[in-house]
Amino acid sequence: MVYFGVLALYLSRRAESRELGIEWFPEGVVELGPSGWIFWTLIMSSFTVQWAVQAIQNEDRPNAYVALGLTMLFGAAVFNQMWFIVNDTGFALSASEAQFLFFVLNGTFIAFLILAVAFLFLTALRAMFGQYSPLQNDGVPAAAMFWHTVVAMYWVTWIAVYVTK
Amino acid sequence: MTMTESPPTEAAESTEPAGAVPGGLYDVLTTSDHKAIGRIWLRLGLLLLAGVAVLGVLVALEDTSADGIDVFGGANAAWQMNGLYSFSLVLLVVPALTIGLATTVVPMQVGSSNIAFPRAAAAAAWGFMVGAAIMVISVFAGGGWGALDGVSGGEADAIELTLLGMGMVASSVLLASVCLATTVLSLRTPGMGLTKTPLFAWSILVTTSVWILTLPVLIANLIVIVVDLRGGPLLFGAPEGSTMIYDQLAWILEQPAVFVLGIPVLGIIGSIVPVVAGSRHITHAGLMAAIGVAGLLAIGGWSQPAFSDQRDELLFVAFGLLAVMPVLASLALNSLPLAKAGVPPGPPPAQLLGALGAGLLLLLGAAAGALRVIDPLELIGTNADAGVGHLVAFAAVVGLAAGMWFWAPKIGGHQLSNVLGLGVMLDFMGAGLLMGAAHLLIGFDFAGGLNDAMLWVVFFGAILATLGALGVSAAARRNEGEAGDDPWVATRLSGPLPRQFQRATSSVLSPASPQKPRCSTPPKRATATREGSPHDRHRPPASTSAAASAHRPRWDTVRVGCLCDGLLRCLGAVPVASG
Repeated sequence: MVYFGVLALYLSRRAESRELGIEWFPEGVVELGPSGWIFWTLIMSSFTVQWAVQAIQNEDRPNAYVALGLTMLFGAAVFNQMWFIVNDTGFALSASEAQFLFFVLNGTFIAFLILAVAFLFLTALRAMFGQYSPLQNDGVPAAAMFWHTVVAMYWVTWIAVYVTK
Repeated sequence: MTMTESPPTEAAESTEPAGAVPGGLYDVLTTSDHKAIGRIWLRLGLLLLAGVAVLGVLVALEDTSADGIDVFGGANAAWQMNGLYSFSLVLLVVPALTIGLATTVVPMQVGSSNIAFPRAAAAAAWGFMVGAAIMVISVFAGGGWGALDGVSGGEADAIELTLLGMGMVASSVLLASVCLATTVLSLRTPGMGLTKTPLFAWSILVTTSVWILTLPVLIANLIVIVVDLRGGPLLFGAPEGSTMIYDQLAWILEQPAVFVLGIPVLGIIGSIVPVVAGSRHITHAGLMAAIGVAGLLAIGGWSQPAFSDQRDELLFVAFGLLAVMPVLASLALNSLPLAKAGVPPGPPPAQLLGALGAGLLLLLGAAAGALRVIDPLELIGTNADAGVGHLVAFAAVVGLAAGMWFWAPKIGGHQLSNVLGLGVMLDFMGAGLLMGAAHLLIGFDFAGGLNDAMLWVVFFGAILATLGALGVSAAARRNEGEAGDDPWVATRLSGPLPRQFQRATSSVLSPASPQKPRCSTPPKRATATREGSPHDRHRPPASTSAAASAHRPRWDTVRVGCLCDGLLRCLGAVPVASG
C-alpha cells in the first residue's frame, strides 16, 4: 500500500501535467529495453522462489538452497539493472516534478527489493540451521509471497512508468 | 488450544498469568502478555490525552487573543502548535486508547489466550512511544509541518524529524492493527464464526482494516515529502514559506479519513447497551453491517489534495452524506434493547452515559460532515473542518472512556468510581459538543462578533477536556472494590455470544480468577458448549480418535480432586486460602 500510494501520487501528477500540456519526460530518455530486462528477470525469480517453497515442502534442502540462492542472485541483478537505469537517464532529483517523482518511485521500489532479499536471506539462514520441515514451513511461503508482491509492484510500475511513460 | 476443549489449567499455562502486573522494568520491557501490553497503550494514551488537552487550552487561548495575548511567541509557533494539537489528537491520543482497549479486551472476547504476534504487538507499543516522543520534541525544536515564514536549513532538518516521528507512529499503529485483525480473524474460539463475533471485536477488525488501507498512504506521503525536503525542495516546503506539508497531510484529519476514529465507538455502544439493559440486540447482523458500512465510508487515502481536488466530485460528496446512515442505524438498533428493558433505577452507569453520549456526538459529527460536503455552503477549508474533527475525535474519546469503565475489571482487576465516571463522561461530552459546534458555527461565518464569542466557547470546551483527562487519571488510581468474575451481572458480553463462551473466557482469563480449576465451575459447561453450539463446524465427530479424547478435560478427576480438597479444608487439614 505504501508503494501504491507513491505510484498513485506519480500517476495523478503526471495526468495533471499532461492536462496542462506539459511534457512529462523528455523524448527518448526513459527507454523500454533495460526496464524490460528487469521485468523478465523478476518473472524468472518468481519461478525460482516457488521452486524453493516446493523443495522445502518436500524436505529437499539442497534444491531449496539452490533456489533461494538463485532468487537472491536475481534480486541483486535487478538492483544492478535499476541502478543502471537511474544513472542512464541522467535525471536530477530537483530538476523537475517528473524527475523527482521518478526517483521517489524507483527508490521506494529498490527499498522494497532490498527488504525482500533480506527476508529471503534470513529464511535461507534459518533453513540452513535446520528450521522448517514439510509440516512446519510457513516462513518460506511467507518470504515467497513477499517476493511475488515485489514482482507485482514492478509489473505495475513497468506498465505505468516505462511502457505508457 | 480452545476454550471449549481444554481445561482452564492448560489455557492458563499457555501464556503469562492472566492479569499479571509486570513487576520490574525488565518485565515491563519484555512482556508479551496482551493485558500488560494493553495497559502500556492505555497509560500512554491517557498521558497523551492530558498533554493534548492542556495544549488545546493554550491553542484556544491564542486563538482568542484579539487583545494581544501571544501565548506561543509568534504566528509561526502558534501555527505549529495548532498542527501538533490536531495531529496529536487524531494520530496519537485516539489510536493509543483504541489499541490499548482492544489489545486488552479483544483476545478475551474471541476466546483467545493472547493476542496474535504478541512480540510484534509489544514492539508496536514501544515504537509508538518512541515515534510520539520524536514527533512532539521535534516540533518544539523548530520542526513541524512547514513554516509560515519560510523553511530554513535548520528547520528543514527538524521538519524531517517530525515527519520521521509521524512515520514511526503510523508504522506502529499499522503493526498493532495487523496483530489485532489477525486475532479476530484467526484466533476465535471454535464455534464462533465471524458473524458471531462480539461487536467490539468486530468494530476493531473493521477499524484496523481501514487503518491498514489508509495509513500506508500517509507513509507514502511522508516519504515523498522527506525526499523533497532532502533533494529540493521542489514540491513542498518551498523556501519562501509554505503550509504545503500540512495541507498535503491534513486529509488524515478530515472526513472521510477521520471517521475511522468513530468506528470502535459503535462497537463499544453495542457491547455496553445489552449488558446494562439486560436484553439482547434485535439483530446482531444488522449492527455488524452498520459498523462495516461505516468502515467502508471511512477509507480516505484517496481524498488527499495531491490527487487534484477530489472534493468537488460526486464520490466525496456521497461519502460525506452517506456517513450519517450507519451511525443512525447503529444508534437506532442499540436503542431498542434499552426501550424494551428500560434503564435500571438510580444514577445511570457511567459506561452507559458515555456510550450513548459518544453515539450522539458521533451522529452530530457525521451530520456536520454531511453539511460540510454540500458545496453551496462553502464550508470546506474553513473551521468546519476542525468542527467535524473535534466532534468525531471526542466521540471516540468519550466512547473509549466508557469502554474503560465497562471493562475496567478486565483491565485492572477492579471497578472504577461511577461518580467520577459520570463527571468524566459529561466533561468530555461537553468538550466535544462545545468545540465541535463552535468551530462549525465559525465555519458558517455568520458574524464577526459571533465568531469571537465562539472562540471563547472553544476555550471553555478545551478546559472541560482538560478536566476530563484529569478525571480519568484520578479514577484510574482509585480502587472502587475488587471485581468478581461477572461484575455487571451480565449473561453475555455482547449480543449473541453464547453464555458458555463468556463464562469460559471469564473463568480462565479474568484477572480476578484463580489459575487453577475452580471447584465451582460446573464441569458439564464445556461439554454443553461443544454440544450446544449449532455453529461449531470445527468440532470433530463424536467418534474422535483416542489422541483427541486424551486432550479432553478430565472433569471427573477435577471433580474428585475438588471434593477431596473441600473435605480436607473442612477437617482443617489444609489451610483455607485468603480471598
